[in-house]
Amino acid sequence: MPSILPQLIINGLIAGSIYALAAAGFALVYYVLKFQYFSHGAIMSIAAYSFFAFLNLMGMNYLFSGALTVIISILATLLTNFLIYNPLRKRRATSNIKLIVSVVLLIFATALLQAIFGSSTKSITLGQNKVFDFGTFTITSIQLSIIIIAIIIFLALWFILKKTRLGKAMRALADNKEVAQVVGISPEKIYTYTFIIAGMVAAVGGILLGLEQNLYPRMGIPIIVKGFVSSVVGGLGSVPGSIIGGLFIGLAENIGVLYFPTGYKDIISFVIMLLFLLLRPQGILGVKARDS
Amino acid sequence: MIHDFLIYFLLIVLIYTIIVMSFNLAVGFTGLVNLGHMVFFGIGAYASALLALSGAPWYLAVPSSALIAALSGAIIAALTVRLKGDYFQIVTLGLVFIAVTLSRNWISLTRGALGLPGVPPIFKDSLHYMIFVMAVFALSVIFFYWLTNSGTGKIFQAIRDDETASSVLGKNTYFYKILSITISTFFAGLAGSLFVHYIKFVDPTIFDLEFFVLILSMLIAGGLASIQGSIAGVFTLGIFVELIRFIDRVPLLSTVLAQHPELIGASRTMVYSVIVIYLLIFRPRGIFGRVEV
Repeated sequence: MPSILPQLIINGLIAGSIYALAAAGFALVYYVLKFQYFSHGAIMSIAAYSFFAFLNLMGMNYLFSGALTVIISILATLLTNFLIYNPLRKRRATSNIKLIVSVVLLIFATALLQAIFGSSTKSITLGQNKVFDFGTFTITSIQLSIIIIAIIIFLALWFILKKTRLGKAMRALADNKEVAQVVGISPEKIYTYTFIIAGMVAAVGGILLGLEQNLYPRMGIPIIVKGFVSSVVGGLGSVPGSIIGGLFIGLAENIGVLYFPTGYKDIISFVIMLLFLLLRPQGILGVKARDS
Repeated sequence: MIHDFLIYFLLIVLIYTIIVMSFNLAVGFTGLVNLGHMVFFGIGAYASALLALSGAPWYLAVPSSALIAALSGAIIAALTVRLKGDYFQIVTLGLVFIAVTLSRNWISLTRGALGLPGVPPIFKDSLHYMIFVMAVFALSVIFFYWLTNSGTGKIFQAIRDDETASSVLGKNTYFYKILSITISTFFAGLAGSLFVHYIKFVDPTIFDLEFFVLILSMLIAGGLASIQGSIAGVFTLGIFVELIRFIDRVPLLSTVLAQHPELIGASRTMVYSVIVIYLLIFRPRGIFGRVEV
C-alpha cells in the first residue's frame, strides 16, 4: 500500500495547485471586497473554454491562446464588476446579496457555455505530453508545468500583496476602508485592480484545470466549491492561507483514496471544512472571524 | 390540456410556497441565512420516496419524512447556529455539496444518479391531489401567520434584530434558533414529500444549485420576514418562469431557436439569471420585504 503513496502525493499536489488557484482568487476578493466571490468559478470555466477555442478550434499556438485567454478573462471579470458588482456596491448591497448574485452568475456562465459550446464534454489537446517515470511515481510534462505555473502565480500574488504600493493599498482598504480613503486611496480604483488580478488568476487556473480534466459547461461549480472549501480551511480572507488550504485539500483528498471509496472523495474536503469550522474556525493561518 | 397545465402550475406553486415560507422563517424572521435549506427539501423527498417504495402508506410516509427532515435540521442547527459571521452560511452551503455526494454515492439507499423512480401517487387523479396539497398549503399558511405573530415569532425577530439584547433579556437564543431551524426544516421536508409524490421520482439533481437559486429568488422577490411576500414571490416568479418556457415562440428568437433546439434550455437559464441579478441589485427587499438579508 505505501508504494502508491508517492504517486498519491504527486496527484494531490497537482489537484491542490488548481484548488489553490481557485481559492486564491476567491480569497483575494473576499479579503479586499468582503464578499464570497463564487463567480471566480464562472471566469475559470470561461477561461478553460476560451483556451480550448483558441488552441483547438482556431489552431493558434499555445502561448498566443494563453495570452488571449488572460485578456478575455480580465475583460469578463471587469464586465461583471462594471455591470453587477459596482451597482451593488453603489446601492450598499449586503454581503449576502453579493454572495447570492455571484452564485447566480456562476449559473449564468454554465448556461452561456452550454449555449456556445454545447453540453457535450470537450478536451484540450496540447502537443506532446511526455511521461516522466521516477520509479515510485510518474508525472506528465503537462502536470509538471501545472505545478510550476501555479507556484509562479503564488509567488507573484505574494509579491503584489507584500511588496508593491498596490498591495499596500489593498491591505489598507481591507483593514479599514474609511482610514484608507482618508489617506487618499481610491477604493473603486483598487477594486478594479483587485478584479484584474482575480481575472488573471482565474485565467491561469481555468487553463490548468482544462489541461487536467475534461471541459463541460458546469465545470466552474465544483472547482469554485473546492476553492471556497480550501479558502475556509486555510483561513477565510487570507490569500496565503487559501493557497495552503488548497494544497492541503488536494493532498487530503488524494491520500484519502487509501482509506475511502473514490466516490466519496468530495466528502473528505467537506468533512475537513466542517471540522475546521467547528474546532478552528479561523483556519490554518488563524484569521479572525468577521461579523457580517 | 389547459386544465392539466393549470393543475400542474398550481401544484408546483403551492409546494414552492410551502418551501419559501419555511425558508423565510429561518432567513427572514430569525436572520439565519440557511443556504442549505433545499437539503432538507431533498431529505424529505428521499425519505418519502424510500418509505413509500417500501410499502408505507402515504399518511405515514408524508409526516415521517417531514419529521426526519426536522430531526436532521435540529441536529445540524444544534451544531452550527453558534457560528459567528459568515460561517453559518458557509457550513450550510457545504451541506448542499455533502448531500449531492451522499445521494450520488450511497447507492444501496439512493440508487445514486439513477434516482428512485415509481414513487406511488397519493391520489390517482391529479385534481384530487391538488385539492389535498391546497389543504396542506392552507394549513401551513395559517400556521406560519400564527407562529410569526406569536410570542415565539417575536423572539425569533428579536434575535434577528439584536441577538445580544435578546439574550440579555433572558431569552435562550441558542434554543430559539434551533427551534426556528427545526420548524423551518419540518416544512421543507413536508414540501419535499408532497413534491416527490407528485413528480413520482427523485434523483440527486434535486440538490442542484439552479433549483436552490430559483427558490431563493422567489424568497427575495417576495420579501423577507413577510408571509404574504413569500406567497406573492412564488406566484409572480412562478408565472414568469412558466412564461419563459415559451421563449421559443418569441419572434426573431424563434427562428434561431428552431435551428438550435439545444439552446432553448440554456437561453431560459440565462434570461432568468439576468432578471434575478437585476432584481437583487435594484430591489433587494422584494415586494413586501421589511428587512434585508
